[in-house]
Amino acid sequence: MQSLLKFIQKYSNFLIFIILEVVAFLLFASYNEYPKSSFLSTSNAIVAFNYQVADDISSYFRLRKVNEQLQEENADLRSQIAELQNIVEDSIEKAAYHYSHLDYECIPAKVIQLSTNKQHNFLTINKGRRDSLYQGMGVRNREGVVGIVSNVSEHFAVVIPIINTNSKISAKFLKNGYYGTIEWDGKDYRYAELKDVASHLSVESGDTIVTSGLSPIFPENIPLAVVESAVLREGASYYTIKVKLQTDFRKLNYVQLIDNHTFIEEKMLSDQHAN
Amino acid sequence: MRIRTVIEWLVLFLLQIFLFNNLQFWGLCQPQVYVVCLLMMPIVLPRWADMLIGFGIGLVMDILCNSIGVHTAACVLLMYLRQPLIASLVQEHERLTGEISWQTVSPETFIKYAAVLICIHQLTISMLAAWSFRHFGMTLLQFMISATLNILLILGYNLIRRQ
Repeated sequence: MQSLLKFIQKYSNFLIFIILEVVAFLLFASYNEYPKSSFLSTSNAIVAFNYQVADDISSYFRLRKVNEQLQEENADLRSQIAELQNIVEDSIEKAAYHYSHLDYECIPAKVIQLSTNKQHNFLTINKGRRDSLYQGMGVRNREGVVGIVSNVSEHFAVVIPIINTNSKISAKFLKNGYYGTIEWDGKDYRYAELKDVASHLSVESGDTIVTSGLSPIFPENIPLAVVESAVLREGASYYTIKVKLQTDFRKLNYVQLIDNHTFIEEKMLSDQHAN
Repeated sequence: MRIRTVIEWLVLFLLQIFLFNNLQFWGLCQPQVYVVCLLMMPIVLPRWADMLIGFGIGLVMDILCNSIGVHTAACVLLMYLRQPLIASLVQEHERLTGEISWQTVSPETFIKYAAVLICIHQLTISMLAAWSFRHFGMTLLQFMISATLNILLILGYNLIRRQ
């Protein structure tokens, strides 16, 4: 017993070092893959509140830009209304069909914190459980897809954007409907990779990539990216495709959360099937 | 510790969170200037207390950056190595009771001390944040650029304070 105490005394610093490092690594291992805790992340109320205050101050300096964006968005919406009116007038059945597929609502939110220079980037938004947000919700903005909600606290939520190396988003070509997966390689926040596109397809730069609608997270045909370059290495059965993301993450300000009414139902069904 | 020092460190923390965490530079540069507080902290506490402080500051940084565990592990390692390093660099280190800076130890010693610890700290952060060898070249480049910039920033901070 005495010798054990002596040992502990002699190596106490080293032991404490090991203990603290083990705690740090346990935290790292359990939260790095998919941060679930809203306490140990930026959706922590105190931390998020501070970011919100900082954002309130800095947003004054961006008012002009935001105004321009809102005007553009207004114009877009007006043209959409006009289109929809045409559809309604053209054929009521057709409109009814479109309506049945619009089984989701959008909840607006403001980005209060975001990083674009790491491999695991995140963003924090100012809506939470109180505004009926839930884990797994899709997030988009005017330009295209932003990411997926990873954890939710009472008033705030953390989103995993496309530009996080853990993110994977199911996509398809707008022109022919072939599927692929958008992943980020951790380098440039403006570009990502489109994977799993077989070599027999024809891919050209400028092709538009949209969401596939295969998962309940995003409805079909939300803009994702545009093909920048497609290379087929000799002997490879899949293309190496570099795509330019539609969303400009450095200028991300306002986002919309996609509240799919059948999300839980669809997710339960697919989970049951996976098990 | 003077109040002025505490205020300076608080400013450094805020700069880290709102400025340096947002630097883009093609994803290659993430200087960790908050390390200044850990490097310059006076050696009056025992090593275990140093490590606990490192753990606390690292954890706060992690929560602020959504990178749980990364900064914590790096800061604990830095604080563990700090006192033996000072002991090996400064001969009469027992007399060192104030903060460790350009003036209290010689400039040459301070540069050595800061460079070694910053490199260890930055390498831990870069490797843990990447957590794969898939883009190892990129991780290494990011480490080198960030560490260099970090050392320059800390020397700059010391120079400004001297005036």
